[in-house]
Amino acid sequence: MLAHAIFFYFFSFVAIISAIMVTVSKNTVHSVFFLILDFISISCLFIMIGAEFLGMIMLIVYVGAVAVLFLFVVMMLNVAQQKNQWFKSSDTSTHIPIGLIVSLIIFFELIIVIGGWKYKPDIIENFSNNLISNSTNTHTIGSVLYTEYIHLFQISGMILLVAMIGAIVLTFRKREGVKRQNYFSQISREKNQGVELVEVKSNEGVKIDV
Amino acid sequence: MINLFYISTEIFLSLSILILLLIGVFKKKSESFIYNFTCIILLVGLAININLNPQFPIDLFNNSYKIDYFTTLIKSVILISAFLVMLCSLNYVKQNDILKIEYPILILSSILGMLVMVSSNDLIVFYVGLELQSLALYVLAAFKRDNILSSESGLKYFILSALSSGLLLYGCSLIYGFSSSTNFDLIYQNSKSIEYGIIFGIVFILVGLAFKITAVPFHMWAPDVYDGSPTSVTVIFAILPKIAALTVFINFLYGPFLEMFDQWQAVIIFLSIGSMVFGAVAAIGQKKLKRLIAYSSISHMGFALAGLSVGTNEGIQNSIIYLMIYLIMNIAFFCCLFMLKRENQYFDKVEDLSGLSKNHPLLSLSLMIILFSLAGIPPLAGFFAKFYIFTAVIEQSMYFLAIVGLLSTVIAAFYYIRLIKVMYFDEQKEKYDLNHSIGLKMILVISSTIILIYFINPNIINNFVLDITLI
Repeated sequence: MLAHAIFFYFFSFVAIISAIMVTVSKNTVHSVFFLILDFISISCLFIMIGAEFLGMIMLIVYVGAVAVLFLFVVMMLNVAQQKNQWFKSSDTSTHIPIGLIVSLIIFFELIIVIGGWKYKPDIIENFSNNLISNSTNTHTIGSVLYTEYIHLFQISGMILLVAMIGAIVLTFRKREGVKRQNYFSQISREKNQGVELVEVKSNEGVKIDV
Repeated sequence: MINLFYISTEIFLSLSILILLLIGVFKKKSESFIYNFTCIILLVGLAININLNPQFPIDLFNNSYKIDYFTTLIKSVILISAFLVMLCSLNYVKQNDILKIEYPILILSSILGMLVMVSSNDLIVFYVGLELQSLALYVLAAFKRDNILSSESGLKYFILSALSSGLLLYGCSLIYGFSSSTNFDLIYQNSKSIEYGIIFGIVFILVGLAFKITAVPFHMWAPDVYDGSPTSVTVIFAILPKIAALTVFINFLYGPFLEMFDQWQAVIIFLSIGSMVFGAVAAIGQKKLKRLIAYSSISHMGFALAGLSVGTNEGIQNSIIYLMIYLIMNIAFFCCLFMLKRENQYFDKVEDLSGLSKNHPLLSLSLMIILFSLAGIPPLAGFFAKFYIFTAVIEQSMYFLAIVGLLSTVIAAFYYIRLIKVMYFDEQKEKYDLNHSIGLKMILVISSTIILIYFINPNIINNFVLDITLI
């Protein structure tokens, strides 16, 4: 139990510190590194409470794909300089107070909504009925995903297919005038296609068509 | 065992998307073949769908997917209009270099998403269908990628639509939190008492849906996107997503949220009045036909919403009649737009119509019929569509809504009739080409005839909606 508590406090401490460092650090690349650290420690927390599937998905999707994508974008666009300009120059600093106002309004709206919340104990009961203790998370999710939610699974597959087609159709360009090596045509070339015998007249030379 | 027979339309469409993709990859220069094949697939899908026609409602996948007369009817309407749209835009697509193998495949996947949306009886199924539908449409809007207007419209649609999806999901999560289910029937059972959280959720969902049918005040994207995207895609925007989104409106309002009628009625009336008035006023200054039809469709959606705000079966039926007549008129209008071309150059400005009647008497005659019908002048179909809506509204003594609707009809009539004046009384211009495809001509002739003779036998459309009883 003690080891469990120590691990829990360690991971949550790292998560909170790195979340603060994401916003505080001046260098954007460092921010992204702290973001990755944050994701990893949160996925460790997930694994600790027994949600190993969620933790692994968190690692694969957020650390493996999203954070690396952020890193690419940050490195390519060189956002580090821009960010400093936002906070320093006087004429463009108007969006900080507006952002604060909007976030305050959203915060109060959330409080109002949560204020109307009535705690529903029957949800907990339903959950505990459905839980099967002797099978893993992944097993349980799989057994629901491929039976009850098969239609959603298939349509999500169609969405991914459409996204792929869309990305290809909007960006793929056939480049003109590219010379590609074609081994088959190189090897199957014969003498009469490549060599021409010309009788050269004196003082006239040969006209070469290329 | 789930009876997969009842979703055979969806299965057929998904399989044909995959097969067409394979054909497109392995067969060189198969663009035209795939385009024509897609038209046939839509017809076969329509036949399968009509063949299902269940006598009683059927629930599939743990009651998260619903097949009944209403959804089958709307699906058939979507498939027919998709077929007509594909048929009439064939020449445009060919001449504007947007005929790639992906173009018909994206349209098919968007239609698949719409079918899922229409049948959904669950928040997750609904959202997944919506995303499949709109994701394909974003790409279609930006399909002419070398054109700066088209790219702009695709990007604009994408960003604003993502924002509205966010709002919609927030509403869904609130509703899930307060009713502890995503299933429409369970939401209905669990939300009898009025709670703030559920009302918040309903409002957010309505905002997201209003964005999809371009109701004021969530219309800002429509004129730019309609104008920027290629005309063949604009037709799709003007017709298909609106049928699907309006059906989802009906499914939501008269399904899980029926008990909250007093709460959402005011929201729908507000959306309806705003769209009717704004659509009528803002279209007056427009110089481009595509922008004008965008504002006109905003106004028409206001009328369709007015039918939904009534809260009776009659109101719903009249809204669906309105929607069907709206799509016939819009297909006919875009057919006329596709005919305005000279040496493979397409025209879409109001001034390009000037003196059309001298060179092309038949085209301008049918355009005149369509415009009069859009304006709602008797005895054309558009008049009856509006008439039914007003009857349903007045029967519930909602006089303010009816008066605002009538006034906005008068304002809107101004700009429709101005187009007719430009066609018939302004000075003549060069002739347009006459080499249109037979499909285009046929669709224009048939749809203008339906508009013209609808008053002789209104039952050709009205009979379909008689069996729809949701309350």
